[in-house]
Amino acid sequence: MSRIGVFVCHCGENISRTVDVERVALQAGKLPGVAFATDYKYMCSDPGQNLLKRAIAEQRLSHVVVAACSPRMHERTFRKAVESAGLNPFLCEMANIREHCSWVHEDKEEATVKAIEIVGMMVERVKKNRVLPNITVPVTTRSLVIGGGIAGIQAALDIADAGHEVVLVEREPSIGGHMAQLSETFPTLDCSQCIMTPKMVDVANHPRITLHTYSEIEQMDGYIGNFQVTVRKKARSVDEAKCTGCGICMTKCPQKKIPNAFDCNLGMRPAIYVPFPQAVPNTPVIDRENCTRFKTGKCGVCQKVCGPGAVDYEQEDRLIVEPVGAIVVATGFKLYTIEEKPKGSPIKGYGEFGHGKIPDVIDGMTFERLASASGPTGGKILRPSDGREPKQIVFIQCIGSRAREKGISYCSKVCCMYTAKHTMLYHHKVHDGQAYVFFMDARTPGKGYDEFWRRSIEEEEAVYIRGMVSRLYQKGDKIVVMGSDIAVGVQVEIEADMVVLATAVQPQVGADTLAQKLGISYDKYHFYSEAHAKLRPVECATAGIYLAGACQGPKDIPDTVSQASAAAAKVMTLFARDKLEREPIVATVKEAGCVGCFYCKKVCPYGAVEEKEIRDRQGNLVKVVAYVNPGVCGGCGTCQATCPSKSVELDGYTDEQIVAMIEAL
Amino acid sequence: MTTIDTSIYSAVTEAIRGEAQRTLSEGLVTAIVGYAAARRKGSAQPIVITNAADSEKLIFSPACVNNLTVYLTKAKKEIPKTGRVGIVVKGCDLKALVGLMGESQLKRDEIYIIGVPCAGVLASTVQPSQELTSDTIASKCRECGEFLPQGCDFVPGVEIPAAPELEKNYSAEIARLEALTPAERWAYWREQFSKCVKCYACRQVCPFCFCEQCLCDRNKPQMVESTPRPAGNTAWHIVRAMHLAGRCAGCAECERVCPMDIPLNLLNRKMARELKELYAYEASFQVNDKGPLATYDEKDDQSFIK
Repeated sequence: MSRIGVFVCHCGENISRTVDVERVALQAGKLPGVAFATDYKYMCSDPGQNLLKRAIAEQRLSHVVVAACSPRMHERTFRKAVESAGLNPFLCEMANIREHCSWVHEDKEEATVKAIEIVGMMVERVKKNRVLPNITVPVTTRSLVIGGGIAGIQAALDIADAGHEVVLVEREPSIGGHMAQLSETFPTLDCSQCIMTPKMVDVANHPRITLHTYSEIEQMDGYIGNFQVTVRKKARSVDEAKCTGCGICMTKCPQKKIPNAFDCNLGMRPAIYVPFPQAVPNTPVIDRENCTRFKTGKCGVCQKVCGPGAVDYEQEDRLIVEPVGAIVVATGFKLYTIEEKPKGSPIKGYGEFGHGKIPDVIDGMTFERLASASGPTGGKILRPSDGREPKQIVFIQCIGSRAREKGISYCSKVCCMYTAKHTMLYHHKVHDGQAYVFFMDARTPGKGYDEFWRRSIEEEEAVYIRGMVSRLYQKGDKIVVMGSDIAVGVQVEIEADMVVLATAVQPQVGADTLAQKLGISYDKYHFYSEAHAKLRPVECATAGIYLAGACQGPKDIPDTVSQASAAAAKVMTLFARDKLEREPIVATVKEAGCVGCFYCKKVCPYGAVEEKEIRDRQGNLVKVVAYVNPGVCGGCGTCQATCPSKSVELDGYTDEQIVAMIEAL
Repeated sequence: MTTIDTSIYSAVTEAIRGEAQRTLSEGLVTAIVGYAAARRKGSAQPIVITNAADSEKLIFSPACVNNLTVYLTKAKKEIPKTGRVGIVVKGCDLKALVGLMGESQLKRDEIYIIGVPCAGVLASTVQPSQELTSDTIASKCRECGEFLPQGCDFVPGVEIPAAPELEKNYSAEIARLEALTPAERWAYWREQFSKCVKCYACRQVCPFCFCEQCLCDRNKPQMVESTPRPAGNTAWHIVRAMHLAGRCAGCAECERVCPMDIPLNLLNRKMARELKELYAYEASFQVNDKGPLATYDEKDDQSFIK
């Protein structure tokens, strides 16, 4: 006979406000098999857990039902408590009377009756629970970092410094990401390149970091501790081992008129190029789309001038399989381009601001390149149209962000601060110029942030106008900006020489396809989803995959670096032991009933199902049945739902348990 | 009433006999599952021959209604163990055979497929001696588009006479039921299922019901009530229809063997139609490794979720 203990939690008032918890405990105590039932204000607290442990010992409990919040929240907590009291942790189940009951109902009487029924179901279910031993799987103590921006670089360095091997994959020819493009950084105005490039060099020189630039993730198989990631190393057309980075190929390349994306297309680059002088690795890549050799077959100058003979036109894409135990995703962001509605984008266009039509209407990143000492103008703020210094400059914030009617409801977080920074950089470089900022709100939470913003107004003479711009048009060589100042209640018209738009931060192109390859979830904007917004902010719901930086949501550099280090810490926690204990919630096949149709194998998202031959004593083949590899099984239960003969079941979610729950109703 | 031209059947019979003689004597196959004449005039029954001399027993006629593929999986388990087995199949039977290959129950190189060009078979309600006409032809043949099996090892080289246009019973009945209100439709099926005596003949004859232990026979936990009562009957027939969705080849054997005349193939045809409309999938002569119910695509039609 079972001796079940039922523990009903008030969850402060979260549950007890709408559910009569005392009555639930009283009724639960009357259920057959229940030996003990009580309620407590916070079951998850230390005294609450002690109450549970004491009851297990004193009442000689065989099973435990905790009626509280979602198992996603505290199942682990209570199973640990049960384990420390000497019971197998899988003899403890949670009855969710918070998310499934108190939070969604108003009527106390009805909610109480429902809570009693939920508890009754779980009591019947827990009676059928089996003792499950934990499964241990080996861990490959090597990690993969996807994205070589500041997030990926920080995570890779932290993990490598802890003594583990790291494979860093970057889509572009060089690591560095967006931070390498920035001029100065808020709130201290230190040079972005000066703090970034040493880290890039550290990556290149680190004995435990393998760097794959100009590479993308092709495919991922496996599971936490044992991933197999296929990396496509795109044909660089330059042998990385031979190239010395002398750069003669770039100076001799006759095709020099290709807009340089790194400089936001303000400068030009040759067809064989490194994106910027401080690139890591300092190995050029041939842009095959624009190279005369690849387009017409004639040229070949770079090959002729290359001393070490590194230029290789025949090079092909290579696929490299990297076995890793953990993955950090740090694919970063892109800025919304507003000239038209991009295909598949949730946002509608912002053509009214003339971006793409009026040459002196630029976005924030382009301004960074203008202000950068290594930029196309050598750090001088000059108009792209005629190279003149703009004497009146208008910054417009919240372009795309916080505009529900346009499709993005979130705040891009970094624009208030970088616009304040832009006004300062402008003031430092154009002493007789005047900066105006149209803004909705100034959002400056962060250490030294508000002071920084105040400084842009009080010391650097930026004029902040609260209100949005209604219209913007070219008039001669000026851009007329019409807006409203809602603080004063007047219409404002400014004849500007240049307009800078603080456009929304969006996830990188292809964020969704990468997520599908990795099996991680993402939101409607394609930002990756963390496992728990507050308590597990750097972990994906998929075990062994962690998030860092703006791929999860708009972030500034300090936040990105913090999260990257946090993700690295999670990886190190995983690597701290060479074996990983995992939950034994896995599928098992009842071989007697299995007819070997292998529907389970076809639907298994983890590739956990194998074919197993059953032979008699003489060695004759009797039949071929399915076998679930417990190390690979993710415990999703898809096989169980698919099996026509009901011959595969997920431990902890057996048909017997589910039917017992239904029959308890 | 229109008479249906079955003049090719004698040539088909000759060709089957010749191929059986050859393959058995050459040792290509160890046995052949086919049709032979039965005692009553014009009737036919399944036969397994292992001797080349018995080839003369094989026939093909409008009475050859059975889907013989069950003899390769469950009805006679000892047959496939003897070696490569030959089997005589009509177009509808071949789809079942192909379906079983896709579900790892049969291997293509372990069977020798003798396909028969078919102009139709008799309905189960008429005497086997009767002539094949627009009145006596089986309902499934009225809507059949696969008179000539494809991808077989052997098909008699005969010209199939042009088939007359026949009334489509299933389509008409589906249209009639779809026009009813959900309550009326439910009443119709409840009435039909209430007739069921749980003899499970439909299960035994179905090539796709190949589970060694049917979930309906399980009692821990009991998934489907075992006694012939309305609730359990309905559960059984719905489980059956759902399990056959995207698999049923339309041989209509279930409907033929049902002693209570429940229109089982009507349910199967409706499910097949749904699968075709939702996922552009239907049972065919092509082996499909992943049926529509074993795949998931974000772009799948979800309009049926209401």
